[in-house]
Amino acid sequence: MLNIIKVTGNSLSPFFLPGDYVLVRNYRPGYKNLRVGNFVVFQHSEFGRLIKQVHTIYPETKTLKVVGSHEKSISSHKLGLIPYSDLIGKVIFHIKQSNTSKRRSLLK
Amino acid sequence: MFYKLIQTIDRFHPFPKAKAHCDIPCGIYDPITAQINALTVVRMMDLMAGLAEGDDKAVIDFHNSMSRYVAVKEDHAEKAKHEIRVIWGDFIKDTHVEKYPELPGLVHKIMQFGSKSRQTADRANGLALVDAINQFAEIFWAIKDIKIKKAKAPYAPGLELVYPDL
Repeated sequence: MLNIIKVTGNSLSPFFLPGDYVLVRNYRPGYKNLRVGNFVVFQHSEFGRLIKQVHTIYPETKTLKVVGSHEKSISSHKLGLIPYSDLIGKVIFHIKQSNTSKRRSLLK
Repeated sequence: MFYKLIQTIDRFHPFPKAKAHCDIPCGIYDPITAQINALTVVRMMDLMAGLAEGDDKAVIDFHNSMSRYVAVKEDHAEKAKHEIRVIWGDFIKDTHVEKYPELPGLVHKIMQFGSKSRQTADRANGLALVDAINQFAEIFWAIKDIKIKKAKAPYAPGLELVYPDL
């Protein structure tokens, strides 16, 4: 099952900018095709639906450490490890904004 | 072109949003929150056992109280797990794991005892959760080079906790 999700916030710039869309393949228990560096969408009990990059996978505790890529996004502030059960899915396609000048201004 | 098409659809039928918010590390970590949550789990187990020994099981108040104890036990067991995951994910670094190789197994044990404390009303599971989180607290304070002391919590169920000796 696939979903389109809109990105808000700057944490994943320059890869993803606010206003970009991503095509997300829904996570199913037993889904093994997840690697460090993948972008994932998950539901966080405190911060709601988030998109982040996988930093470390801990198979024995069935959890992930996720990070942002922006320079201000140094650490996962109180995100904690993300249990597999909170995963919504993995980003498989990125729909970028076509207006390159707008992208440049957003990157500043 | 494709973006424009998606954007147009989004205007009429908004897609769900995912935040890529900027994080600011606060640096405030303390296992005491998890320890207190675990103590609460044992306290609820004790209250449940006490209530079950009474004779008024047909009274609606019995069911009301039992439901509340179970709900608090569920909630605090999950909160204890969450607090440990936050420290494990955000504070603990690879160098800490190298120095304390028992950490991954200990965190896994905490997750399991937390789940067992939700699934059952067995006090042994609650005690195991408190014990495992105390062990985690000992390592946490050792990483921060802060001495610890062990003392009984000044409230029921009065179990021994690991505290920083400041």
